[in-house]
Amino acid sequence: MGRLFWKFCFFFMLAQVTTVVGVSAAIWLRNSSAHTSDNPVPALVDARLLDATVALSERGGEPALRELLLDWSRTPGPTVYAVDADGREILGRSVPKGAGENARAPTEQAGPQNSRHVVLADGRAYMLSVDGWSPGASFGQGGPGGRGGPGPLLFPLAPIIGGMLASLAVAALLAWYVAKPIRSLRQAFQAAGHGNLDVRIGDGMGRRRDELADLGRDFDRTAAQLKLLLDGQRRLLHDVSHELRSPLARLQAAVGLARQQPANVEASMDRIERESIRMDKLLEELLALSRAEAGLGVGHEENVDLVELVHDVVRDAMFEADARSSSVAFDTDMGALGATTVIGNHEMLHRALENVVRNAARHTPAGTRIHVAGTHDAARREVQFTVTDEGTGVAATELGAIFEPFYRGSQARGTAGHGLGLAIARRVIEAHGGSIRASNRATGGLAIEIRLPA
Amino acid sequence: MTASRILLVDDDVELLEMLKTYMEREGFAVTFASNAEAGVAAALSDDFKLVVLDVMMPRMNGLEALSRIRLQSRIPVLMLTGKGDDADRIAGLELGADDYVPKPCSPRELVARVRAILRRTQPAEETDAEPATIESGSLKLFPRQRRAEWAGKQLDLTSTEFNLLDALVRSAGRPVSKNELSEHALGRPLARFDRSIDVHVSSIRRKLGTLPDGRSWIQTVVRHGYQLIEE
Repeated sequence: MGRLFWKFCFFFMLAQVTTVVGVSAAIWLRNSSAHTSDNPVPALVDARLLDATVALSERGGEPALRELLLDWSRTPGPTVYAVDADGREILGRSVPKGAGENARAPTEQAGPQNSRHVVLADGRAYMLSVDGWSPGASFGQGGPGGRGGPGPLLFPLAPIIGGMLASLAVAALLAWYVAKPIRSLRQAFQAAGHGNLDVRIGDGMGRRRDELADLGRDFDRTAAQLKLLLDGQRRLLHDVSHELRSPLARLQAAVGLARQQPANVEASMDRIERESIRMDKLLEELLALSRAEAGLGVGHEENVDLVELVHDVVRDAMFEADARSSSVAFDTDMGALGATTVIGNHEMLHRALENVVRNAARHTPAGTRIHVAGTHDAARREVQFTVTDEGTGVAATELGAIFEPFYRGSQARGTAGHGLGLAIARRVIEAHGGSIRASNRATGGLAIEIRLPA
Repeated sequence: MTASRILLVDDDVELLEMLKTYMEREGFAVTFASNAEAGVAAALSDDFKLVVLDVMMPRMNGLEALSRIRLQSRIPVLMLTGKGDDADRIAGLELGADDYVPKPCSPRELVARVRAILRRTQPAEETDAEPATIESGSLKLFPRQRRAEWAGKQLDLTSTEFNLLDALVRSAGRPVSKNELSEHALGRPLARFDRSIDVHVSSIRRKLGTLPDGRSWIQTVVRHGYQLIEE
C-alpha cells in the first residue's frame, strides 16, 4: 500500500472520527446538562428548606409547622410535605408520588437531600419531604420526572468504537478504490520511463469510467504513439546506416585499388569523388526528410503559384533528361488549374513535386512520355496533380510502401537514388495538409496523385 | 599453382567489379553473381573454393542463400554482414557460415580473411608428420580427408567446425583457449565481443550428442575456452 492509500485512509478516518466525536459530545453535553439542571443548587435549596423546616418544627411544635407549610403552599416555589406515621399529610394534601414514597418509608431510604425525619416535642414524628422546584419544568408535572433523570449517564463508548471501525473499513475501501488505479498508472509510467512502451493500462482499469480511467486511456494512446514514432526513428537510423554502408564499401574498395595499382590511381580518384558526392546527396535528402517531418519550419509560409511551380519542375527534369541523353518527353496539362495558389513552403513543395517527377523519369522507358496534369476542384477546395509514366508500375502490394524511406521497388534496384525521394514528397505534402497516393494505370505505368488544399 | 576460384555474391555491381579487379591482382580467379539466386546456383556448381556472400540483398537475402547452399554443399562461406548486425552475424554462423567480415571493409582485409579460410580448409596432405587418423573416445578424425566420424558414423561438419574439432581433439582432456581455437579454425585472433567460436562450438555440440550423464562432450571452461572430455 502506498502513501496515498494511507493518506486517504487517514484523512477519511479523521473526518469520520471528528464527526462521531462531535455528535456524541453534543448529545452527551445536552443530556448531562438536563440532568444537572436540578442539581446541585436546587438540591441544596431543597436541603436548606428542609433543614429550616425541621428546626422550626422542633422549636414551635406542630402548630408552627402547620402554619409554615400553609403559608408556603400559597406561594409558588418548592412545596414541603409533612407526613405522620399514619401516612396522613399535615395539611391533608395528597402527596405526589416521588415525595410520597419517601414519606411513606420514613426511616429507610430517606436521602439526606429531599426528605427529613423529625420528632416534635410532643413525641409525634413527621416525615418531611420536598417536591422540587426546577426552573425548566412546569410546576405541575416537572418535579418528580426531572428528579428521576434518564438513568445512569456514561460516555457512549460502544457506539463510538463501532462507528470508528465501520468508518475505518469504508475509509480503507475508498482509499483502495482511488489508490489502486494510481498505482497501476505509476507502474506503467515507470515501465515507459525504462523504455518499455508496450505497457498498457486499459485492462487494469476494468470497467471503471471516471477521470482516472480516462487518464489510463490517455496514457495508452500516448505510449502507442510514442512507440510508433520511436520505431520509425529506429528503423530510419538502421536504414541510414545500411544506406551509408554501400558508398563506404565502394570507397574502401576504391582506396584499396588505388593502393594496389598506383598506375590507375586517377580512375580510383574519380570513383572516390563520385562516392563522396553520393553520400553528400544522401545526407542532404536525409536532412530534407527530417525537416519535412519536423513540419517544414516556421516563417516560410507564402503564396505558391502552382502553375509556375510545375513548369519549373518540368523544365529542370527535361534538362536533366537531356543531359543523360535519355529521350523522355514531358507534357503538362495545367489549363484546368487556373491561377490557383496554395499557401506553403515554396522550396519544400518544389522538392516534393520534383521528386515525384524525377521518380517517374527514372522509371519510364526511353522514348516514352511523362504526363503531368493539374486540376482545381473549387467545391472541395483542393488542387490535384497527377504524374504518370509509362514504366512497369509497381506491384500492388508495394503501392503504399514506396512512400516509406529507403524503400525501393523489388523490380528496380540500382545504385541510383536512395529511396528517399517519395518519402520526402509524402512528408511535405502531408505537412501541407494534403495527401499522396500511387496507383497502377490500366495501360501500364504508375500514376502518382497529389491533393493539396487550396 | 592454379588460382583459387572465388565466388562473390552481392547486389552492388560497382563494388563487385572493383573487388574482382582487386582480388584478381592478388592471384584469385573471381566470378561474381549480382543476386542471390544466381549466387546459390553458382555456389552449388562445385567450381569454387570459397563463396563471399553479402547478407543484405533484396528479394532473397544472404542468410536464405546460405541455408540453401548448406543443404547441398559444405563449401566454405564468408559472410559480409553489416556493422552492428549481431543477429545476422550469429544467424549466419549458425546456418554454417565459416566466418564473417563486417561491411564496409577494406579489400585487403577481405583478401586476408579469404586466404585464412582457404589455408585452413586445404586437406593437410603435404605434411608427412600428419597422422592418418586422430582418435579420442568415440571420435575419429581423418585430417587428410578432412572428415570425422562419431562412433563409426560420418559427421557432417563445415570446414570451420572440422578445424575446431581438430584443435580440441589434439588437446583432448585439456582446455583450449578461445583465442587458440580462433587462430586454428579461422586463421585470425579472436576479436573482442566476437562470439563466432561459441556459435561454432554449439553447432558441433549438437552434432556430437551427449555423455551418458547428459553433459556435453565439449565442456565450457569459463573465461578461457573449451575442452573435449577424454574417456
